[in-house]
Amino acid sequence: MTTTTELAGAPVRVSGVTKQYRDARALDQVDLDIESGEFITLLGSSGSGKSTLLNIIAGFTDCDAGVVEVDGIDITKTPPHKRGLGMVFQHYALFPHMTVFDNVAFPLRRRRTPKAEMVRLVEEALDIVQLGHLGKRMPQQLSGGQQQRVALARAIVFRPKVLLMDEPLGALDKRLREQLQLEIKRLHRELGITFVFVTHDQEEALAMSDRIALLRDGRIVQIGTPEELYEQPAERYTAEFLGESNLFSGTIVNGVLPYGEHGSIQVRDGSADGAGSVMVRPEHVSVLRPDEQVPVGCNALRGTVREVIYLGSGRRAEVTLPDGTHVVARTPADRRHSRLVPGEPVVVTWAKQHGQVVADGPPADEAAIPAGRAAVPA
Amino acid sequence: MSRLLVRGGLVTLAVLTGLVLIAPVLVIIPMSFSDSSFLEFPPTDWSFRWYENFFSDPSWRASTLSSLKIAVLVTITAVILGTAAAFGLVRGRLRAKAAVAGLVIAPLIVPYVIVGLAVYAAALQVGLTQTTLGFVLVHTALGVPFVTVNVAASLASFDQRLEQAAMSLGASPLTTFLRVTLPIIAPGVAAGALFAFITSWDEVVVSLFLSGPELTTLPVQMWSGVRVAIDPTVTAVSSLLLLFTITAFAALGVARLIRNRRLARSHR
Repeated sequence: MTTTTELAGAPVRVSGVTKQYRDARALDQVDLDIESGEFITLLGSSGSGKSTLLNIIAGFTDCDAGVVEVDGIDITKTPPHKRGLGMVFQHYALFPHMTVFDNVAFPLRRRRTPKAEMVRLVEEALDIVQLGHLGKRMPQQLSGGQQQRVALARAIVFRPKVLLMDEPLGALDKRLREQLQLEIKRLHRELGITFVFVTHDQEEALAMSDRIALLRDGRIVQIGTPEELYEQPAERYTAEFLGESNLFSGTIVNGVLPYGEHGSIQVRDGSADGAGSVMVRPEHVSVLRPDEQVPVGCNALRGTVREVIYLGSGRRAEVTLPDGTHVVARTPADRRHSRLVPGEPVVVTWAKQHGQVVADGPPADEAAIPAGRAAVPA
Repeated sequence: MSRLLVRGGLVTLAVLTGLVLIAPVLVIIPMSFSDSSFLEFPPTDWSFRWYENFFSDPSWRASTLSSLKIAVLVTITAVILGTAAAFGLVRGRLRAKAAVAGLVIAPLIVPYVIVGLAVYAAALQVGLTQTTLGFVLVHTALGVPFVTVNVAASLASFDQRLEQAAMSLGASPLTTFLRVTLPIIAPGVAAGALFAFITSWDEVVVSLFLSGPELTTLPVQMWSGVRVAIDPTVTAVSSLLLLFTITAFAALGVARLIRNRRLARSHR
C-alpha cells in the first residue's frame, strides 16, 4: 500500500451502551473512546460482553440504550450494510460458493466499483496478505491460516475506516496464530485504520494492542496500554487476568501491609492506605537461602520450596508461606533455583517498589478466568 | 476367502433385489411396441401404433399438457411457500414452533384418500373442481412439506455468520439472500423443487376426485385407461415417462461427475 494517508481511520465512540438479554445483563452502561487509527483490544473471558459490544458496533445486535458513533456520526440505528465497517470473524465466514477472488471482490461489486479498478484492488489486497497467486482457488481448498488471510483481504479491500475482528485467530494453532498476529500488526501499521480486536487471550492482547479494555460482567474493568494494565492493574481482577501474579490482601497503613504473625509487606511509595491487595509479579520475586543477606528496601517472607519447574527461558519456583499462601517466583538467568529442592526453607524477597496496591473489586469468579492462564510466561 | 464369499453373496442379493423391483417396470417397454389392442406380453406383432395414438389423440395431449402446467406452477408456488416456511421454522422465534411444523408436515401424514375426499367436498362448494387453480392449490399443499423439510435441513447447517459477513461488506438483506444464502442452500431448494414437481406430476388419488371431462391430469387418464377401457396407449406413455426419468437422472449424474472432475483438477 503506497498511500496510507488517504486510508486513515476514524474514531469510534461508544457511550452508555446497555444490552439486556432475557436472563442476564450483557453490557452495563459501557463508555469507550477509540481514537482514529488506534489498535484497541476488547479483552475478557466468555460472557464478559466483549463480543456483544463488537456486534453492537458492527450493527448485528441492537443495544437497549446508548449511542455508537463512528467518525462523529451517530450510527446506532444504521443497518450493518450501511455502516461501512470491515469485519473479520473467528471462523473466517468466507463464501464457500465463490472463489477467493470473488470473495474479495464481493464488497467492491456491492459498491459498483468499475471492473478494471476492482481487479486492481482485489489483486492488491491479495498481495497484501501474500495470497496473490491463489485467487482462483475455492475457500475450502485453503488452510485455516490462508482462509483467514482471505477474510482479512476481503475486509480491507473496500478501505473501511474501522476494522472489527472477533477472535480472528481463535481457530488457529499456536504457531500460525503468532505468525498472523505479526501480520495483523503489520497491516495495522500499513493501513493506518482503526482496529477493534476481540480476544480472550491475554497474551495476544498484550502483544498486539495500543490499548486494552478489560471487560468483566458487562463492564469495562480497566482500560489502558498493555504496560499500564500489566504493571499497574487497578483491580485484583485485572492483576489476575493478565499474566501471573502474587496477591496479598489486607489493610494498608502508612504504606505497610501487616502480614502473618510478625511479618509485614512494604508497598510502593505514594500508594494510598486502606483495604486492598498488594500485587507482585513473579519476575520481581527472588528466592534466597535463610543465611543470605536480604537487600536493603526489600520485603522478605519466610517459606518452604514447594516445587521448581524448568521453563527453558528460565525457572519457576513456588514457595509456600507459613499461612499456606503460595508465592511464585520466576527467574530468567539465575542458576540458584536449580539447586533448590522441595521442602527446603527459603526467604522470598522483592523490592518494595514492585509491590503494587490494587483494589479488591467484586470477588473474582474462578470459572471466569481461563484455565491455563497462570502457566503462560508473561 | 470367506470375505470373498460374503461379498459375492451380497452382490447376488443386491442384483436379485434390483431385478425384482425393476423387471415389472421393464416389461412395460416391449408391451408398448405390441400391435395388439389388448395388453400383451410378450407381443406377437410389433408396431408403433400406441405411440402414434398418444401423440395424435387430443385427450392424451390435453391431459399431458395439463399435468405439465400444473406441476410447473405447483413447483414454483411450493418452492416459494415451502422455503418461506423453512425460514420461519428454523430462524423465527415462534412460540408454537412444533405445532406449526406439524401443520406444515401434515399433508405427508394424512392419508391422501381423506385429503381427496375433503378437498372434493370443499372444491365442489366453490367451483374449483376440474380447474387448474384447484389442482395447483391442492398439489401445492401436498408439495410444500417436501420443500420445507429439504430447505430446513440445508438451513440448519447454514452458518449465519456468512450473512453477517455479507452485510458487513455492504450487501443489503435482499442481496445477501440472493447472493449468499440462496446459492448455499440451493441444493436443498432444488431437491425440494424436484419432490414438489414429482408429487404433483404423478399424484393420482387426490387428482381423481378433482378430475372430470373438463380437466384431467396424465396419471388420472392413465389410471382410467386401464380401469375403464383397456387402452394400450398407457404402456407407450409409461415407457416415455420411464425414458424421460432415466435421461434426467443420467444427466444429473453426468453433471455431478463433470463437476467433481473439475474440482479435483483445480485441487492440484
